[in-house]
Amino acid sequence: MLTNSRRTFIGALVGSATLAGCGVFDSEPEPPPAPDAFQPLLDEALALAASYDRVIVAQPALAARLTPLAEDHRAHAADLARLIGAAAGSAAPSVSAPSGGADTTATLRKAEQAAQKTAVAACKAAPADRAMLAGSIAACRATHAEALR
Amino acid sequence: MTEQLAAALAAEEAALYAYGVIGVHLTAADEVSRARAADLEHRARRDDLVDRIDRLRASAAPAPAAYQLPFEVTDRDTALKLAVHVEDGVAQAWRALLPVTEGDERVDALSHLTDSAVRATRWRRIADVTPLTMAYPGRPG
Repeated sequence: MLTNSRRTFIGALVGSATLAGCGVFDSEPEPPPAPDAFQPLLDEALALAASYDRVIVAQPALAARLTPLAEDHRAHAADLARLIGAAAGSAAPSVSAPSGGADTTATLRKAEQAAQKTAVAACKAAPADRAMLAGSIAACRATHAEALR
Repeated sequence: MTEQLAAALAAEEAALYAYGVIGVHLTAADEVSRARAADLEHRARRDDLVDRIDRLRASAAPAPAAYQLPFEVTDRDTALKLAVHVEDGVAQAWRALLPVTEGDERVDALSHLTDSAVRATRWRRIADVTPLTMAYPGRPG
């Protein structure tokens, strides 16, 4: 049976060991993984694809016209996810696409134009080896806005 | 970068030559005016490129090579097909400038890539060619 003083001593040992453990981690804090600079491009690609899907469900007559545009976004999402190392579709889109059941070709067009701006900024800031990917995505979003006219 | 600028110049020269041929085969007023606007835009870019290459003193601006059309243009359909073809080619040339430029120069190249991609989309719509868009404008192949 342990005496009170021994209990205290053991408790202190455990406590100091815990503190020491904490100290080790404190001195080398696990940095939260910084989001990739292209994460917004991926989020937007997924959100846009989903928006197109909603419009197609609501207005099946537009399917032939809109499906290829949605496929472009899915191609972007797959390539961006491969580049970033995220699983396509796993990231919750942080960018709100026009939602709330009011998606129309007009709101899609606005979303494309906003997403184009994101891609232009990403292209401008990107290292050389990523510039063509972001640039083509920006240009593609502009052609979508044109195709929706 | 000079190599990419020279390629962009060659693409713009090719576009100018092509639009000369295209204009002959279009009759609808809106199509003619679109072709004319495109011609002016490519001419302005060509002139800018000649200046830039000149400023770099890299080499004398290459004399425009005799441009060979990729296929025979005999009517409206083939004229519109050529318009799409040259805009795709110009888009490829400007895209190649993205990794060798920075800041405003890169934004400028992207703007030209985008203009050509959008123009190609318009020509496809006029020609009833689908799909109107591609996932990666300017990517060769």
